[in-house]
Amino acid sequence: MTTLEASELVKDFHVRVGLRRVKLRAVDNVSFTLTPGRTVALVGESGSGKSTIARMIARLEKPSSGAITVTGPDGQRVADRRYRDNVQMVFQDPFASLNPFHTIEHHLARPLKLHGKPHGWNDVVQLLERVSLPGRDIAGRRPHELSGGQRQRVAIARALAPGAKVVVADEPVSMLDVSIRLGVLNLMARLQREENLAVLYITHDLATARHFSDDILVLYKGRVVERGPADDVILNPQHPYTRILASAAPNPEARGRAVDIDPADVEKAGAAAAYDWV
Amino acid sequence: MRYYARKFGFYLVALWAALTLNFFIPRLMPGNPVDILMAKLAQRGGTVDPSARRAYELMLGTNSSESLFQQYISYLGNMFRGDLGISVSAFPAPVSEVIAGALPWTLMLVGIATFLSFAFGIILGTFVGWRRGTWLDSLVPATTVLSAVPYFWLALLLVAVLSSAWGWFPLQGGYDILLSPGWNGEFIGSAIYYGTLPALTIVISSVGGWLLGMRNMMVSATSEDYVLTAQAKGLRDSRIMIKYAARNAVLPSVAGFAISLGFVVSGAVITEQVFSYPGIGSKLLQAVQNNDYALMQGVFLVITVAVLGANLVVDLLYAVIDPRTRVSG
Amino acid sequence: MTNLSAVTVEPPRGRAGWRSMLPRWSPKLGVGLALVGLITFIGVIGPLLVGDPNTIRDISLTPPSGDFWLGTTWTGQDVVAQLAHATRGSLYIGLMVGVMATVLSALFGIVGAYIGGYVDEGFNLFSNVMLVIPGLPLVIVISAFVPADQRGMWTIAVVLAITGWAASARVLRAQTLSLRNRDYVAAARVSGEKPWRVITVEILPNLLPLLASQFVFSVIYAILSEAGLSFLGLGASNSSTLGTMLYYAQNSFALQREAWWWFVPPGLIIALFGCGLALVNFSIDEIINPKLRDIPRRRKAEVSKVAEPVSRTDDDVVLTVNNLSVVYQVETPVHAVKDVSITLRRGEILGLAGESGCGKTTLAYAINRLHRPPAEVTTGSVTFHDREGGDIDVLALTPGELRAFRWSKLSMVFQGAMNALNPVITVRAQLDDVLTTHRPEMTKAQRKAKCEEVLKLVGVDVRRLSSFPHELSGGMRQRVMIAMALLLDPQVMIMDEPTTALDVVVQRGILREILRLRDEIGFAVLFITHDLPLLLELADRIAVMKEGEVVEYATAQDMYEQPAHPYTRQLLDSFPSLTGERGAFVRSGEQMTPVDRSGEPTAFGGVR
Repeated sequence: MTTLEASELVKDFHVRVGLRRVKLRAVDNVSFTLTPGRTVALVGESGSGKSTIARMIARLEKPSSGAITVTGPDGQRVADRRYRDNVQMVFQDPFASLNPFHTIEHHLARPLKLHGKPHGWNDVVQLLERVSLPGRDIAGRRPHELSGGQRQRVAIARALAPGAKVVVADEPVSMLDVSIRLGVLNLMARLQREENLAVLYITHDLATARHFSDDILVLYKGRVVERGPADDVILNPQHPYTRILASAAPNPEARGRAVDIDPADVEKAGAAAAYDWV
Repeated sequence: MRYYARKFGFYLVALWAALTLNFFIPRLMPGNPVDILMAKLAQRGGTVDPSARRAYELMLGTNSSESLFQQYISYLGNMFRGDLGISVSAFPAPVSEVIAGALPWTLMLVGIATFLSFAFGIILGTFVGWRRGTWLDSLVPATTVLSAVPYFWLALLLVAVLSSAWGWFPLQGGYDILLSPGWNGEFIGSAIYYGTLPALTIVISSVGGWLLGMRNMMVSATSEDYVLTAQAKGLRDSRIMIKYAARNAVLPSVAGFAISLGFVVSGAVITEQVFSYPGIGSKLLQAVQNNDYALMQGVFLVITVAVLGANLVVDLLYAVIDPRTRVSG
Repeated sequence: MTNLSAVTVEPPRGRAGWRSMLPRWSPKLGVGLALVGLITFIGVIGPLLVGDPNTIRDISLTPPSGDFWLGTTWTGQDVVAQLAHATRGSLYIGLMVGVMATVLSALFGIVGAYIGGYVDEGFNLFSNVMLVIPGLPLVIVISAFVPADQRGMWTIAVVLAITGWAASARVLRAQTLSLRNRDYVAAARVSGEKPWRVITVEILPNLLPLLASQFVFSVIYAILSEAGLSFLGLGASNSSTLGTMLYYAQNSFALQREAWWWFVPPGLIIALFGCGLALVNFSIDEIINPKLRDIPRRRKAEVSKVAEPVSRTDDDVVLTVNNLSVVYQVETPVHAVKDVSITLRRGEILGLAGESGCGKTTLAYAINRLHRPPAEVTTGSVTFHDREGGDIDVLALTPGELRAFRWSKLSMVFQGAMNALNPVITVRAQLDDVLTTHRPEMTKAQRKAKCEEVLKLVGVDVRRLSSFPHELSGGMRQRVMIAMALLLDPQVMIMDEPTTALDVVVQRGILREILRLRDEIGFAVLFITHDLPLLLELADRIAVMKEGEVVEYATAQDMYEQPAHPYTRQLLDSFPSLTGERGAFVRSGEQMTPVDRSGEPTAFGGVR
């Protein structure tokens, strides 16, 4: 039972404004726990800090303060050098996250090798078959020969290669065509069930967040404004900002409604005290 | 404002680096240039007074007991006072006087030639890039042949054909030596006449680089959305080409001016030699041939300062034509 | 898997990645390679075939003949023999400098940019300083200080390399900075790759074309600079290069004595070699920037008159597209739009839905004849029914009429207003030039008033007129685009994914604005998007496109209640409803049918 606990994460970026350096708080005191078999969704607009949280968990950025702790099945804290055996990430854009120069085999054999797994041709093919791709046919190809959906499946296989138990998925379907999005999300759900993975699902889309995750955290300007079980947060939002987000989403049943949102209201709503279901 | 501050800061650093380089090169090289210079000076019957020797020593390095750092400080002091020592090859004139006499010639020749070649290159590149897929495309390989030609070789061929054989232009020099230099029409006309062929050489050799760069950027800019928008707006083609495509495509050429200017100046130094043009390129070579180290270093410094100045001007101009640099941050 | 899996029949692997690094064949590349190959041959094999270049004969300056193909020098040496050896010397210098300068530029450009922070700033400052200090004068000064007897090939090569790497480093740095932020580099780090492996295995291969082009550039620079130095008498002593050959020729007054056979060939070899390398570099540039690839000669844009326009049947219709087909005329022609017919009524919002590559954008551009070669309208007609009466056959307009038609009758709002606005001129200038072109009779004050009026209409502060696009937020830019589209009071507005790049809250504001303006002003909208639920809420009628064809065309209400085509149903199912059922989304498995979830861990209960 590998769990990941993020506690009181803060990330400040330093931006130069004129000759002064100004501190910009991208993530402000965010805490959550990822447990096996459960999905936590981070929902927010661009600039809400959700991708920064993903990059901190993937150790691409260092938190300014706060801690990310992974606890292994033995109840012991996972050592730093074993961290990447346990925590992996799926990136947003499958056209950018695979190196155009290398074969699919390279993309999967390398992580297998780095994490001490057998990394022969057949191991790669098996890994591809786990993400429902014709491994034998695809392993020798280059990323540009695959469709967007196939690429994202390869990226998911890469994240699974080290045997990770915690997976961060940063908007894994937002760059894909709509008709294949659900296929990729369903695949992730199946793998989660098979491997008992802990998943952090990052998205701006409230609908998939609701259906794909158990808990939702709504972010606004780096702060969590609302958190709780998925259905409760979406169907019965308590925080004014969550309500604005929910009302802004396209809704075929609400033809002809007049939803006009004043940016000032958003600002005001976002500033309201955080609402916590738990 | 931040942009300007950064640019000025950068060019100060570059100036300092050039001065320092100039200070260390002679000290790192084998041989003892000061003695060679003093010997030459004595040959010319010059009195070897201590202050002249001191100036040389500061510039070229010596075995004196003074610490390197003290020498460096005194050297910088001399540089700021414009004291570059005495030229041996033009004895007894001070280096600064020799350079002052030659500098206007080079500034005019290289300045005008560079401006013309930039203007031609950008204008031609605009058309070639815009009318892509027409016969104009063949201009691109044609001009690259010209830019792969050694400057001096092209210059000599031009002299052989246009001056020696056909007699259209004078063989060499900066003006008719029968005239006395002055601000009169006759003299200026003669200077222009004498300067045409050297300038033509520089323009022919360097126009290809500008053309290619501009053409490639035009091709990229033409597929940008804002060009499509302009077409959807029903604007005239000429307006779209100039105000939308070329206006954006020219930015990298201006930003990359420093690279190209280096090449032009290098070529110009040799071109001056071919034409015995009375500019500082010729002075540099005259200095090299006579082991006139003081003059050589002085010329190098002046060329560097001129190039830095030109780049600074271009950078400041860039801020005017690209509004994005003006944002702070 | 079956038994067959034991017999591993592996598809061809490898190679393909390298092949993508090779330039595409073109006449330019052929000529370039031939020139470079020929001259390399002269330099490498030539010296073995010719006699001693230094043999002095008493036949001074003889013109080319059977014995001496390129005649002799002042001292009677064979020019061909000299040329072969000199070419070898120049190539040697070029190669040495090329390698050294490329290594230096890779070190300062790539490593600095990858490490980032102060190392990068330091390296970058150093490169830039080296760049602005003029190279050749510096080389001349350095060479002059080195006594002639110590001035060998290596000294010259090192000096040239030191003064010649900076420009390449700057180019490589810029590219590395952009590669460094690619997701695949981040992904490699996440899989646990060491930094040196990330640089050499993940980044470097993608820099190869650029490195190759910078190497070629360095070789040209070195050969030209060496020739210049030698010509000035500052070249490598005791060695023979094309530059020294020219030096001797010039000092023996070869040209004045009309011995062109001595002076011309060395320079010509330099020029041809440089030209060959430059031609090869064109092809490398095309790998780096595929936009630069040669396009076939453009045929004169003919006015396509492919079908008779449709005369109006109903005053209510503003635009009729009839049986329109658009084909990309490439090697195997691609039918991007197949036989599409749609009608747009006055004041209605017609949604055009479909996924990437379905032809919806091509269709929108073809309506306004904005499609570019190789796209071509092959059949059909586009007819605009003016409210002042009269039908306009859009495909038959002359270029001048087309320009007058565009924007005044039909305006467009593009996706990603980021790039749709010209980044270097002000908002005012971009609004203003629509008016100066289409309404030349307006005075400056009238134009200003009009610009302010449309900005107010879309809810943007008029002070924004003097702003540049980068000073506006994404939503603001899109509002400015809409204001621009309103300037001439058009009857039709085509909007291509106008809100796709925006956050939902901002998108909502823009949509609201579009609806309100449509109600107030009464233009018709062709709204293109991949977001079908959005259209169901916004549009009056919807056309769903797939592979160039309109598969379903119905009112929004009908499409929502009873989607007829299976593809429409598939699209609708792809968007799980926010508040209702989850459509085709199945949390517990990949299959499309719901499964019995009893007995599963409670962790999955959240979706019940």
